[in-house]
This record gives sequence, structure tokens and C-alpha cells, in this order.
Amino acid sequence: MTIIQFQPFSSLVEPAFWHALNNMKIDVLKLSDDFIPVTGSYAPGRSITDRESGQDIAMPSALTLAGDAFSEDPQIPKYAVPVTGLLKNYNTIEEFKAADKTALFNELSDEIWKSIQAGSTAKLTKFLLITFADLKKYRYYYWFAFPAFVAKPAWEAGGDWQSASEALSPETISAVHDALHTQARPFFLVRTSSATPEIAPIEELQTFFEGVPPEHRLVGFVDPSGAPSNPGWPLRNLLAYLSHRHPSLFSDAAGLRVLCWRDAARSRVGIVKGPSSAQDTGARPSAVGWEKNPQGKLAPRMADLAPTMDPKRLAEQAV
Amino acid sequence: MHALQQQYWAVRDYLSPVLKESKFKEHGRITPEEFVAAGDFLTYKFPVWTWEKADAGKTRDFLPADKQYLMTRGVPCLRRATALAYTDADEDAERLVSFGELSSTGKEEDEWVETHAGRPAGADGGVNAGDIDEIPDVDDHLSHAMANTSISSAKADADEIPDIDEIPDMEEEGLEDEDDAAVAAPKVASPAAGVIDGSEVEVAKGNLLQVRTYDVLISYDKYYQTPRLWLIGYDENRNPLTPSQIFQDISAEHAKKTVTIEPFPHSNSLQAASVHPCRHAEVMKKVIERMNQSVIEEQQAQRKGPAAASKDKGPQKKWLFRRASGNNVKDAPPDEDVEGMRVDFYLVVFLKFIASIVPTIEVDSTTAF
Repeated sequence: MTIIQFQPFSSLVEPAFWHALNNMKIDVLKLSDDFIPVTGSYAPGRSITDRESGQDIAMPSALTLAGDAFSEDPQIPKYAVPVTGLLKNYNTIEEFKAADKTALFNELSDEIWKSIQAGSTAKLTKFLLITFADLKKYRYYYWFAFPAFVAKPAWEAGGDWQSASEALSPETISAVHDALHTQARPFFLVRTSSATPEIAPIEELQTFFEGVPPEHRLVGFVDPSGAPSNPGWPLRNLLAYLSHRHPSLFSDAAGLRVLCWRDAARSRVGIVKGPSSAQDTGARPSAVGWEKNPQGKLAPRMADLAPTMDPKRLAEQAV
Repeated sequence: MHALQQQYWAVRDYLSPVLKESKFKEHGRITPEEFVAAGDFLTYKFPVWTWEKADAGKTRDFLPADKQYLMTRGVPCLRRATALAYTDADEDAERLVSFGELSSTGKEEDEWVETHAGRPAGADGGVNAGDIDEIPDVDDHLSHAMANTSISSAKADADEIPDIDEIPDMEEEGLEDEDDAAVAAPKVASPAAGVIDGSEVEVAKGNLLQVRTYDVLISYDKYYQTPRLWLIGYDENRNPLTPSQIFQDISAEHAKKTVTIEPFPHSNSLQAASVHPCRHAEVMKKVIERMNQSVIEEQQAQRKGPAAASKDKGPQKKWLFRRASGNNVKDAPPDEDVEGMRVDFYLVVFLKFIASIVPTIEVDSTTAF
């Protein structure tokens, strides 16, 4: 049995978002550092073939904040799923440094855990973003957190991850494909017991899987990871949700079949075996998920937009 | 100076009339309506492309409000174009890319030279971006701007690399005390499946693989009456690329000559690298002429009968159909009139052309989904 290693979320902030934050800071927030809701999105992970070496290169999809992240009705790219988060913008770099990150993180983790207890999957991927915008230098310091609950003992994979095209019938794949393309959703259920495969939201699990044998059950999620045997970060909280709400799913020795939905032919199917003996006290499990910086440290990142925002630099550029 | 120029362009753009009459086959230019038609086709066939709305106040009224420009996100760019530096030894790697029958015109000078086909990237492929030996003083920008004018200069980039010293040193040891075995280590490769992670450094063949991604935008340029390409790039750590880093991904013939950093017309503040459209129409005309001919032949052959059409399937001649109709030539109604290339294909062709300017950005990787 191997422990499942999840591919952490990575963030990608479009320059347009920093422009929007500028305006937000100057026109709306001013000196306030209250939480403001933001909406990002992530798409299914991809992999591309290098034309020169012929190798497949995994292209994980990042959690992307676009220029309209502050709007109430942001435009989400096709096939991507929206994800909400909280932004806290500090006024000075000192405040940014001194922020009580543990408290902020725990606050959000509590909120996610409460939503799980209430039976909702809407907040499973909720994220936190703390920022400091150095408006004069066009520099943005930021740090994302994607809280994920830690399972004890850890989730294990029952066997290897298989390609979905091997593990599932073409009908099932096209049914999932069609369902997701009509309505993008981060998590979903599939049952293949009847002639045509059916899709339903996670919240309906109790009735949807009633009387369905385990081999016809499938829990799916839109997987931003591109690595063949590393499912993406959203699965962690989905599993936390399932084991808390429906522990019976994991009591079976066969485990739970999970579909990591990626682009075209690259979806993966695997068996997840859980801590069947774990006593669920209802207490919130510990959570992890601060994003690491490019040096692999737990530290903030910085986006330097001076080269494309500073009028002086632009003038130099245009020789 | 640049600001003045931009003002001038803005006025010129404002004054120029909206092209009404379709003549894309004669001069390679298209009307806004045709841009929308071609964009609709592109987004329909290749859903990675989507129509986008403009920022408030930046909507151009000759285009529908919800179809101001086209965008695709996260286009991979595996290597730097500067890594494909041209040397004499590469001459035999050149390949003429033809659009249509070579023999039909015999005009060799119209052929497209695709250089370095299949050539592995040089050993210094893409290392430049990571070259941070030299972090200059902030006040030093002006003098370094001079060094910047040479694109091959590795030092030019050092100037643009954010000074890491200025990132507050606030690594927090105690932040996550969980020894979390369930996190995929960033360096975990899975050689078994032959897939490597894009954020990793590829050791094979000694190439350094730094996978950048680009957001690619296509707007309609009213003055030149052609589509115009815009690039917003991110490095392998998903930090925005600086202009000189972006120039590494543009073929040497075009970098800094036809590619400049300009304000994106549909945004209130965004600056992006743009391929200047002054020669687009000319090139597009040539390409379209060639393709049109082969398309007409194809259509005539199809009318004669499916047997005749399938007979001489030259691989080079069918790519348009293959690409455009998603592996299914028979999609086209059999009784379609011989009309030559439809304007819907314009943007598909345009992307082919753009691919020659940005050889390592997979703008044409329309195979996903």
C-alpha cells in the first residue's frame, strides 16, 4: 500500500488582477484591511507532448486569479471551475510580515470544517490570500493558503492509478465529459449500475449510491494536477468530507473508486483506501496548505510588475 | 517619445474607418464581422479559445460587447526561442513550409522557411532566465537599459529579475508543523509513466526545460484591419515575465523589431507584448492565396466524387482540413459550392503564421480537448 501524495495547489495571478487590486486599494479599500471575497478558478490538469523529446510533460493547472476576481460575476474559462477565497490586503509591509498567519489559517480551516459538517461541498477549496501592494514600486507581496485536512492515518492507494480510458467504459467517460461541459462542477458522483451512466452532485450521495454496488460507484473531481499518480489538492478535502459524512464508503475493504478528471485522455482512476478504524469525533482535523515560494520555502512570493507597469521602465523598453 | 507615438496610434486608430467590405482574399485584411465569424469558428472548434469582454469604457463598438477579443490561457512554452539560435550547421535543418501545392505556382520565394526543424535546443536553452549572478543596484536601471538592447545578452535579464533580497525574509518554520507525507514532493518524478512534471528541471539530454506559460490574446486592429496578437507570460514559478524575458520566446528576426510592449486596447491598465500587425495583411494574403487554391482544388475534387478526392491525399495539402474540421473532412456538406477558403478559417491560418514568430509557444496546439 502506498500513501497517496497529493499535488499541492499552485497559484497563478494574472497581472490584470494586480491592476484590479490597485484600483480596489485606492478607490474602495483605502486603509481598510478587512477580508474581501475573491473568485478564482482552476482547470483540469493537462499534459503536453514535447515535440523534441517526445516526452509527455505534466502541466498542472494553477489556481488562477484573473482581472475580474473581485467582481460578483466573474467570467470563468471554459471547463474551469470557480473557487472562492478571502483576500486580506495589508497597508504596510510590516503589518504583512507581522500578520498572525496561524490564526487566519485556523479561522478559514474552521469555516471549511463547519461547512463539511453542514453537508456542503461549496467551500471545500476555499482559499486565503494575504497581500501587500507596494503601489509606488509596482511590487506585490502575496501568500496563498489552500487549507487541506490531514487524514490520520494517511489515505492509501489500492493499486496503481489507471488511465480512465482503460478503467472506464467509453460511455462513462463521455457521460462525465458531457455533464461537466454542460455544467462545470468541481466534485461529482457517477454511477454505472444502470444502462446509461448517471452523474449527480456529491450532496446527493446517500440516495444516489443507495443499493449501488461499490464497483459501480465512482467519486470524481476536476483535477488540476497533471502528474499520473498524484491526484490534485481538491481531493484531500473531498475525502475529508466523504469520510466524515459517509464513513461507510471506506469501511469496505475494496475501497472507494476515485476519478481524477483531467483533459481528454489523461484522466486517472484509482482506489482510495481510508482510515477505516479512525474514530471520527467530529473535531476538526489539523490542516496544512500554505503555498511555498519558488525556492521551496514557506514564505511569501512577490510579483514585480514594474517592467510592465512603471511608465519609466516602459519608456526605456520602447527604444 | 514612445508615449507620443502611442497617442498618435490611438488617434490614427480612432480616425480610421471600419472596414466594411470583405476582401480578405485580395489583400489579407478582414472586417470586424469577419473577425467575429472567424473567432466564432475558432472558439467552436478549439474551445481553449474564448471570447472575452473588454474593461469598462474599453469596448469597441464595431464588435459585439461580449466578443471584444479572443483569449486562451496557459499556453505552454517549453523552450526559449533564443535557444534555437541560428548557426550555419543548422542550414540543413531548414524546411520549406508550403501552404498548398508547390508546383502550382513555382514561386519559391513565397515559401516559408521553417528553420531548426527538429533540432534539439542548445545546451544553454533557457538557462538565461535563471541567471541571477548579477543583481544590479536599483538605481542602475538606466545604464542596464543600454545593455538590454542586445537580446542575446544574458546580462540583460539579470536586470529584470526581481531582487530577491527585497522579498521579506519571513520563512516561517513553525507555520506547518505537520510532517505531511501526503504532499507530493515537488521533485517526485514518475518515470514509470514517462511523464515528467512541468515545473521540474529536465535532466535528460542535458537540456534545461523551463516551462513557461502564456496567456495569448487576439484583438482586432482597426487600423491594420487584421487580428493582432498579444502575449502575457509567466515563468515556471508562475511569476509574470518581464518584457526582455518574453523576447526570449520570440524568434530573433522578430524580437524587438515587430514585437513591442503596448497597452492592451481592451484593458484600462494592462500592458502586454504584442506582435505589430503592419505586415500581417501581406503575409496573410500570400498564405491565403496558396491555401485558397488548394482548397478550391479540394472542393472541386470532392464534387467530382468522393473517390477522386481521397485519391491524392498529399499530406501537406490536407492540413487545413484536418485542423479545421477536427479530423473529419466529411463534416462539410457534400453539396457545398466551390467557394475556396472561407473566412472562418482566417484565425486558424493566422495562428499558423504567428507560430513562426513565436516558435516555442504552442499557440497552435489545438489538440487539447
